[in-house]
Amino acid sequence: MNSIIPYLIVGAIVFVLGIFTIVYKKNAVGILMGVELVLNSVNINFIAFAKFVDTGIHGQIISIFVIILAAAEAAIALAIILNIYRMKATVDVTQLNKMKH
Amino acid sequence: MYDFLWLVPTLPFLGFLILALFGKKLGKTLSAFVGVGSIGISALITILIGIRFLSSPPEGDAFVQTLWTWIAVDRFNVNIALHLDALSLVFTFVITFVGFWIHLYSVEYMADDESFSRFFAYMNLFVGAMLLLVLGDNLLLLYLGWEGVGLCSYLLIGFWYKDSANGYAARKAFIVTRVGDAAMAIGLFLLFYSFGTLNIQEILTQAPQTWSVGNNLAVIATLLLLGGAVGKSAQLPLQVWLPDAMAGPTPTSALIHAATMVTAGVYLIARMHGIYELAPVSMFVVAIVGAATLLIAGFAGLTQVDIKRVLAYSTISQIGYMFLALGVGAWSAAIFHFMIHAFFKALLFLGAGAIILAQHHEQNMFKMGGLAKALPVTFWTFLIGSGSLAALPLVTAGFYSKDAIIWFAWSAEGGNIYLWAAAVFGAFITGFYTFRMVFVTFFGQQKIDVSHFPKWTIHVPLIVLAFFALFGGFIELPGTMGHFTLFSDFLKSALPAMEEVAHENVSLEYFSQILTAVLALVSVYLAYVLYLKKPQIVTNFTDTGFGKGLQQFFLSGLGFDWLYERLFIRPYVWIARTNKRDFIDLFYVFLPWMSRQFHYAFSYTQSGKVRRYILGIALGAVVSITIVVIL
Amino acid sequence: MTASEILKMMPLIIVLATPLITMLIIALHRNHLTTMIVSVIGLVLAIIAIPYSKALDLTKIGELLIIDNYALFYFLLIFTATIAIIIPSYPYLEMRFKGNREEYYLLILTATLGSSVLAASTHFVSFFLGLEILSVSLYALISYLRQTNEGIEAGLKYLILAAVSSAFLVFGMALIYSQTGKMEFNALMQFFSNSSKLNLISIVGLVLMIVGFGFKLAVVPFHTWSPDVYEGAPAPVSAFIASVSKGGILALLFRFFSQYDVLNSKPLFLIFALLAVFSMFGGNFLALLQTNVKRLLAYSSIAHFGYILVAFLAGNNAQNFKGVEAATFYIVSYFITIIGAFIVVGIFSTREREAMSVSDYRGLYWRHPWLSVAFSAMLFSLAGIPLTAGFIGKYYVLASGIDNQLWTLVIILIVNSALGVYYYLRIVVEMFSQPEEAAETKHPSPSVGVMTGLILAVLTIALIWLGVYPTGVIGAIKISVMGL
Repeated sequence: MNSIIPYLIVGAIVFVLGIFTIVYKKNAVGILMGVELVLNSVNINFIAFAKFVDTGIHGQIISIFVIILAAAEAAIALAIILNIYRMKATVDVTQLNKMKH
Repeated sequence: MYDFLWLVPTLPFLGFLILALFGKKLGKTLSAFVGVGSIGISALITILIGIRFLSSPPEGDAFVQTLWTWIAVDRFNVNIALHLDALSLVFTFVITFVGFWIHLYSVEYMADDESFSRFFAYMNLFVGAMLLLVLGDNLLLLYLGWEGVGLCSYLLIGFWYKDSANGYAARKAFIVTRVGDAAMAIGLFLLFYSFGTLNIQEILTQAPQTWSVGNNLAVIATLLLLGGAVGKSAQLPLQVWLPDAMAGPTPTSALIHAATMVTAGVYLIARMHGIYELAPVSMFVVAIVGAATLLIAGFAGLTQVDIKRVLAYSTISQIGYMFLALGVGAWSAAIFHFMIHAFFKALLFLGAGAIILAQHHEQNMFKMGGLAKALPVTFWTFLIGSGSLAALPLVTAGFYSKDAIIWFAWSAEGGNIYLWAAAVFGAFITGFYTFRMVFVTFFGQQKIDVSHFPKWTIHVPLIVLAFFALFGGFIELPGTMGHFTLFSDFLKSALPAMEEVAHENVSLEYFSQILTAVLALVSVYLAYVLYLKKPQIVTNFTDTGFGKGLQQFFLSGLGFDWLYERLFIRPYVWIARTNKRDFIDLFYVFLPWMSRQFHYAFSYTQSGKVRRYILGIALGAVVSITIVVIL
Repeated sequence: MTASEILKMMPLIIVLATPLITMLIIALHRNHLTTMIVSVIGLVLAIIAIPYSKALDLTKIGELLIIDNYALFYFLLIFTATIAIIIPSYPYLEMRFKGNREEYYLLILTATLGSSVLAASTHFVSFFLGLEILSVSLYALISYLRQTNEGIEAGLKYLILAAVSSAFLVFGMALIYSQTGKMEFNALMQFFSNSSKLNLISIVGLVLMIVGFGFKLAVVPFHTWSPDVYEGAPAPVSAFIASVSKGGILALLFRFFSQYDVLNSKPLFLIFALLAVFSMFGGNFLALLQTNVKRLLAYSSIAHFGYILVAFLAGNNAQNFKGVEAATFYIVSYFITIIGAFIVVGIFSTREREAMSVSDYRGLYWRHPWLSVAFSAMLFSLAGIPLTAGFIGKYYVLASGIDNQLWTLVIILIVNSALGVYYYLRIVVEMFSQPEEAAETKHPSPSVGVMTGLILAVLTIALIWLGVYPTGVIGAIKISVMGL
């Protein structure tokens, strides 16, 4: 594959899927997976662009950082979700609307 | 020494801060030390600066201390800077020096008041603001000080706020002066618009180049400024607030409503003299306002029974003299009278305060009497003050300052015989009501036992001020008596000097002086006859229908309150009432209603649901992208 | 990396080292007070290093960072703000949290590091890194009081939304990267300025990045998280989000667009202007009848960043940085006021709950005159009353707007200032009105620690100082903005 277009398309599809998952899912863990999807779509893009556009490896480097971030975020998110489960015995985000207006 | 100038206004502000923040914890003794001490040091610095100013005047006869730039955006450049020239030095001296003695006096006067430190906090704030007013080198600082003293005046009139009448008087003072302040603010905008600067000196130097004499803008601007001046200085037609302002503690009346704040209007006009000279019409209006006010206030003073109200009307009347002097172009005479007036009027108020303190807070003179023996120091100093106010010839300072104005009202460029006649007649009335007050209060039968004998904290200020009320006049003697012009020479660097033409006609000047002197003595004698010797003449007169009506008319300050009540307040209230549900009002009802609806609409979006929030973000992104794609 | 580069980076390095050292100290000797003191010492050392760093000539550190006067100015601001937040956190945590309190300081310090990296970043990589160091620390900070419902709810909300916004941001970066092959701000902006017809994909990328910026700055319509998070987070953390976190992003926003003429770029100008207008109206209308003080501050913060965007738009000419100066001054005054306000909220919190309701402040003046005066000063400054820093800030913002003839925005700003006065004064009125009889027992008198009181006093004095004597700070800002 020597064209950038397929990568762009795949990246965009995964991104939209991720956003859709985040909006659609009620389960906090599901939302977390949506976030991972979005971040991975970004990774796909960066790596592809690094190959096609850049002469250097900036794209690869930033994608490594994105992966690290995803891991860190997942760790903290799971910790918070655990706490929620401990207190409410549910991980449904629609239940999280105590604070409003 | 000049470099310490910034301390002069800073110390009172500092005193205010300390008292406002720690007042309750300090206790009365420490509060008094802070309150009096800050003004005392300020006064000391002012005197040292004054000595230096006299011995070696700064370059250009003015010292400008630029402290820092407050705001600098394009043309709008405001420096926090102090401008010290002869004019502001005189005012600074009076404010700090007289202010100091009044503060000292207050220590005893307010000793039993539970809000002791609050009183001194307000007083210090007032002195600071007043110093800012006279020392500020641009109109914004001047305006800041102007509003600051207005605020303090309001706070101090309503100092004993538990009595709702005092609150009413405070509001009245605030609202009436506000009418003038609004005009003044417009005047300041006009000046900024015309000259593109707020710096007073720059305006004064640019004005003659930009405006020719009689220029319309100059007339409008000066009249607008005059609006502010008559409001603050309680001149016609905005004089109604000052008599009611006597509701405040007596030291307040002495400092704010006699010696300093009410003369801010005089300062403003003197300070902007360069513009007034370009508007002869406005000058004439100033003179007319002054002459009319001094007469009207004099009449009102004739029948007052409250000792403080007599003094209030006399203040209005004396400031009328200053306005008259300003209006005819006798700048230094106005400032001279301001200084002397500050001494003797502060003295009189402090004396009145001592009397009121001694008489169980009774203010009606006719319930007092025979106090001369019980309160000798108060009596003698009060007598000196009264003599000065009545301009008893030769021995009192008031004679020299008032005589100058009376003479200039005729001889100066803008003067004429009618103004002179008004001034002379005013002097006669002044003498009469002043000594009516003295005779009624100090002579005859003692009716109330003396409840408080003043201590040194009251006596010392009285004696010091009496000294100045007696001898302060000798720094400026008229052409007929040695032509000694120390004061006006000193002011020459800041204010245009009087033309020598004023002294040409010596015989006329003698005539004017002798007439004034004789009238003053006659008025004293008349008061002696009518109020001590044969009081039945007065009672007989007031028993007649005409006499009673006249008395009531004068007592009410010539019915101005009555007139304004019908002319402004009632129609306004009527319009407000009938207009309760009018069309314009709908708009103002609509505004909050609409705001509320917006609030509800917006807060609906704040649903607390994460998924909605994400949609919001996504929607924002989509709309933004759409904008980019379309454009 | 040369020795002088290391010296130049010293403030950052110290802030990086402080949490590491603190971590070791916690491992050896777990003590709340020690941890707090060590953190403060670290930050103070970092501040001390700033002038030494300033004295060195070189600015660029590799490709990623630039430590110029601008960055150093923001370092100073961020570090000082963090100290002002950390110290009152100590009594707050002592009262409200049972459990390990020490890690809180680690998280605050790493968040501070992230924010300061943002202020110094010139590259997508450092931008992203700084942003995520900041965000990830904030996730944990917001839900630090893990036994409270609100804390974890706010934490999860922030986490999800921030993750989404970061995703938008990096996706935007990727799109820009796809067209330019570059990640350095200067090179990017040259690309944008030179291409006569704007490249669609790259400008969409830019817009997606603006979404990321907008989220962190909480401007409408990306603001929805902020009231919930402000309410749920511990008061000091809310202060941190409102000040340090937003300050870092704002510094980056200014730097990012400093070489690009937003004023003359139609689509971008329109987007920023709309964000500003919506934020001003949205924030103020939302705050109008709000009875929860923390939410009210959140909404008002939205409006304030709308004002700042007006200045940003005005000052974005490459030759003319007046607007950025104004915005920077505004940010300084805003830091002071918002931190002070949240400190007061923290002081009045009890073991059970935070003092969030406006009615908690009823008659405060009669119980705690000092606190209420300080709080009033903060609110006056937020409302832009003269003789406070807020007035000067707003005045400069207005002047910069007028300078660039942004009349519509200026008028909207003035209208909104009037709206703002209403709800700020509402709290002030509440504080000065007479309390009910029963109130005495309802509000146990909080004890204000010496240090907290001192911080609050310093903030209040700074507020008035800046309102009366702004020249000094404005001079410093002028110098720092010059090299941008």
